[in-house]
Amino acid sequence: MSIRKKSPWILHYNCGSCNGCDIEILACTGPKYDVERFGIINKGNPKQADILVVTGPVTKRTRARLLRLYMQMPEPKVVVAVGACACTGGVFRHMYNVENGVDRYIPVDVYVPGCAARPENILKGIALALEIWEKKTKDTIEIPTVIKKEYEKIVAKMLMHGQVVDRRKIIYDLVSKYIQRKLETPKCD
Amino acid sequence: MGNKMIVPFGSQHVALPEPVRFVFETENEIITNVEVDVGYVHRGIEKACQTKIGYKQVAYVVPRICGLCSISHNMAYIIAIEKLLEFEAPKRAKYLRVLAHELDRIHSHLFAMAHVAEAAGYENLVMYLFRDRELVMECLELLTGNRVQFDYGCIGGVNRDLTPEVEKELRKKLKKLEERLFWFRDVYLNDYTLNLRWKGVGVIPKEMAEKYNAAGPVARGSGVRTDARAEFDALPYRELGFEMVVYEDGDIWARNMVRMDELLISMRMIWNVLDGLPEGNYKENVKGMPKGEAVCRWEAPRGELFYHVRGDGKQILTRMRVKTPTFSNIPVLKELFIGANYADVPAIIISFDPCLSCTAR
Repeated sequence: MSIRKKSPWILHYNCGSCNGCDIEILACTGPKYDVERFGIINKGNPKQADILVVTGPVTKRTRARLLRLYMQMPEPKVVVAVGACACTGGVFRHMYNVENGVDRYIPVDVYVPGCAARPENILKGIALALEIWEKKTKDTIEIPTVIKKEYEKIVAKMLMHGQVVDRRKIIYDLVSKYIQRKLETPKCD
Repeated sequence: MGNKMIVPFGSQHVALPEPVRFVFETENEIITNVEVDVGYVHRGIEKACQTKIGYKQVAYVVPRICGLCSISHNMAYIIAIEKLLEFEAPKRAKYLRVLAHELDRIHSHLFAMAHVAEAAGYENLVMYLFRDRELVMECLELLTGNRVQFDYGCIGGVNRDLTPEVEKELRKKLKKLEERLFWFRDVYLNDYTLNLRWKGVGVIPKEMAEKYNAAGPVARGSGVRTDARAEFDALPYRELGFEMVVYEDGDIWARNMVRMDELLISMRMIWNVLDGLPEGNYKENVKGMPKGEAVCRWEAPRGELFYHVRGDGKQILTRMRVKTPTFSNIPVLKELFIGANYADVPAIIISFDPCLSCTAR
């Protein structure tokens, strides 16, 4: 997990923008802004990506692609909408082939304004996305850490008594117990 | 006989900044058939310009067709409308238009060349080009106030004047850039790896370029003498020292050298503009409504851009039609692939410098 935090990989998809924001994202990887000093690399594979950077107002043709890319990304994932048209539709709002913004289809975490968005703003957006990503990571790994502590205790006890340790069975029991406990406790909201 | 395989390329790919889809049928790595799909970015800008946007606002909507050559769209539309209104822009405005347009050409060409270098695997050169491209971006920001979407031209002139302080800064930055451009030219001419990778790859003979009606650096790289700036009289290109660049080879290397030499010519024109900028107004009020029909041919960084405008004396135009350079380069691109090696595909596509958001609008 710590490796992913230090080097989040970006997936960039253009849903029908004018290339303005895309060239600014590429300028971010250049030597002046140098997004790579944070360990961020632009990768084309959705299965290895942590942050989805979307530009453009989502045309009717690119809609299905965008959803497919989003579904293929592993959890936890963060979406950054770059540019005025990705946020709301911009000048293209209510044109006949345009879907008015990314957040009609997928949940967006960070909105970066501007036409075209400036590289400084894009950098700030990605930094914010990293914070959100970290928060999401904590939420998802809460369950394993609790189990891990209990597991260590049990294994230490068994080893002290000289018993044979069946690790798989212990983990299975713990997880099923944990899930049952979670299901029994009533939810606040 | 051989291994038949179908290879999809796109619509999302690392080598492509925008969605386009190619489906290659290959046989032992040699391409036998291609299908191209360019319609992913269609937004319907032309329709919106004819139905709900007034003719003065259209000048700020058409640049959003394409971010890389935004100023070309803006100015081609403005010149077409000025023809309808029978208005001639003041001389200072014309010079400033040339200045902004040539700066835009430099940034677009540097971007294209960086991309081709990336396809050849020359990462150092990409970074050098991107570093020096930032100089042009700073110049454009000083001149127009924004980095990508300038909205510089308006009906009647330009939106901002060139102040002496800005001019001083521009001269300083452009001097630095010019030195670097000569160094880049040396690299592109003499580098062993680049010559090995690019010479003789993706060759378009002159007859093929003429038959399929290629435009821009692609046509000029194959020896076809076509440049809208040579026959364009709304802007003073000839008195600023314009010269056409033509290479005969027709391969990826020649297309790049055309771009490289055009940079130097643009640089020369920019110096001439800065040295001989006439005094006077940079903007004048224009009255009247567009009535009649007008066309404008304009040399965008990727080739010839064509605007057709028709109005009937009302706020909203009855017809606006855009023909973009990449659109005329798609047939020759398709023809070129058949018989090519699959490993050369990214380099060939990017050497055309395709702009799909222009093509689909």
